[in-house]
Amino acid sequence: MSNLGTAGAKRSSRHLLRANAWFVFAFLYVPIVVLVIFSFNDSERVNVWQGLSPRWYGEALGNTQVVSALRVSLIVAVTSTVVSTVLGTAVALALDRYRFKGRRALDGTVYLPIVIPDITMAVMLLVFFAEAFKLIDVIGPRLTLGVTTITLSHIAFNISFVAVVVRARLDQFDRTLEEAARDLYATPWRTFRRVTLPLIAPGIAAGALLALTLSLDDVVISAFTAGPGATTLPVYVFSSIRQGVTPELNAISTLMLAASITLVVASLALQRPRSTTP
Amino acid sequence: MSADVPAVEMHGISKRFGEVAAVDGVDLQIGDGEFFALLGPSGCGKTTTLRMIAGLDIPSEGRLAIFGEEVASWPPDRRPVNTVFQAYALFPHMTVAQNIAFGLQMRGIRGPDADRQVAEATALVQLEGMEHRRPSQLSGGQQQRVALARALVNHPKVLLLDEPLGALDLKLRQEMQVELKALQREVGITFVFVTHDQEEALAMSDRVGVMSEGRLLQVGTPAEVYEHPASRFVADFIGRTNLLEGVTESPSAMRLNAGAVVAAANELPPGSPAALSVRPEQVRLHRRGEAPEGTPCLDGVITDATYLGHAFVYMIAIGPNADAGGSGAGDPAPTITARSETGSTALDAGERVTVSWLPASTTVVAD
Repeated sequence: MSNLGTAGAKRSSRHLLRANAWFVFAFLYVPIVVLVIFSFNDSERVNVWQGLSPRWYGEALGNTQVVSALRVSLIVAVTSTVVSTVLGTAVALALDRYRFKGRRALDGTVYLPIVIPDITMAVMLLVFFAEAFKLIDVIGPRLTLGVTTITLSHIAFNISFVAVVVRARLDQFDRTLEEAARDLYATPWRTFRRVTLPLIAPGIAAGALLALTLSLDDVVISAFTAGPGATTLPVYVFSSIRQGVTPELNAISTLMLAASITLVVASLALQRPRSTTP
Repeated sequence: MSADVPAVEMHGISKRFGEVAAVDGVDLQIGDGEFFALLGPSGCGKTTTLRMIAGLDIPSEGRLAIFGEEVASWPPDRRPVNTVFQAYALFPHMTVAQNIAFGLQMRGIRGPDADRQVAEATALVQLEGMEHRRPSQLSGGQQQRVALARALVNHPKVLLLDEPLGALDLKLRQEMQVELKALQREVGITFVFVTHDQEEALAMSDRVGVMSEGRLLQVGTPAEVYEHPASRFVADFIGRTNLLEGVTESPSAMRLNAGAVVAAANELPPGSPAALSVRPEQVRLHRRGEAPEGTPCLDGVITDATYLGHAFVYMIAIGPNADAGGSGAGDPAPTITARSETGSTALDAGERVTVSWLPASTTVVAD
């Protein structure tokens, strides 16, 4: 092959790669752009464009079912985030620094909820709750699926995600800083509060934001563990879709998209290694 | 604290990690106000010894007292000692002033009193104007000073320093050696200094403890340890030396493998294998046959002469086969290193010489 031919091949492969990149980009983002544009559609019907208007955002927020689902979503998300952040951080710390019986087993299984398919997890939890209720019903009042069961389920999978993120931060943590604090008269607890906690805080915050996002976005597990009285926003959207896509759903989806992107970007920003200047 | 209570006292201190004994039966007394260096190659147990004084490692056995108080089982926050860590371990999320104030805060000293003490410590290590910087904005030398101030502000009874100069470049290290020594005189606190650098240990400390493989081999002033090493390891580790192998003949003589019987005071039973340690600067060079009568001497051939500016360093092949060419086939002839001031006559490689030394400047060491 002549030099000219090689150069030509190089040029055309570069063009191909660039085209491919644009194609992938479009494939990922065109649907999102379409969704956002159509959420501002003034028309009653999704597929007829009638001009820009925030009308459906107003309609969505005026819909009592939407508002009540949003309320449930927020309660579940905030509660499960707080609880799973505390427990997940504790698990990460225990795995990072203590040698105890069953540590290896816990180390191997704590991340399982991340890889278990959502549907399996959902069925698992549903069966668990049903069996647990049978036992509790014997001694106490009848329990049903609802906000509590959704929250417990979200805590169950969020612990794993928080533990993973916090542990990554702990891996970079220099333990001699704790020794220095101990040497400077700090008790173990004050060492944790004044040195360890502030330094792993970005990891904990990133884990918490991830947990919040996952909880707000979850459909499958929430759908299985939700009761008649309580639905989360994603579950509401999913069940409404069966009656056809409405511009109102477009508006709700766009709002959820905005919330998710904000949380994920914030989480990634916190996970970035500390820069050298404060 | 009375003058005869040692600052640090160890009896039979051992530390085992699993099967491995990092520190093995160390007995040591460090006096009040002393600058004491623990010297040894990496992995010899010197840092573990220091960490046991700090309370960061708990001895597997033995007794440890600081100014007469048994502290072996005390947690680090209760011990009247502070540490300057090898990589300084400054808190990255705090400013210089906050780092220095940390120990005071933990002991409940706050407000103007704490501010005054922090300012004093900052001035002591000449870091005025840096109070509001973060450790990441400081040079290595400045970080080192913060680590010192953070420890000294607490007026510890003993200051522990773990290779504090190891991370600095040569010039800064030499400056800090002088400064650290002056600082110790100024504050009058007992310093226990861990280093693998024998020159640093000799230059800075009042006494040196040489460690190897978890054992404390010899303790003494720098001059004692350098001039009268107690073992082959110490002789070889502290400074450069020539170890001439041989067998003792009597309490005052030794037969060298190089072929001569020389005067050598020793306390070993006759017939013990041993080595005669002769420092290069104690070796005298003479043209062949011109050595003064009555001093121990060996014939040899210069194989290499190096000019160092302030001195010459000669490599001399010695022993029966030296004249036949030091680097001939078979076993290489033993060599001896000599060092002489530049003012003396320069000798060239290949020159046939006689080396001699004064018996008092040598030491017999066994294994």
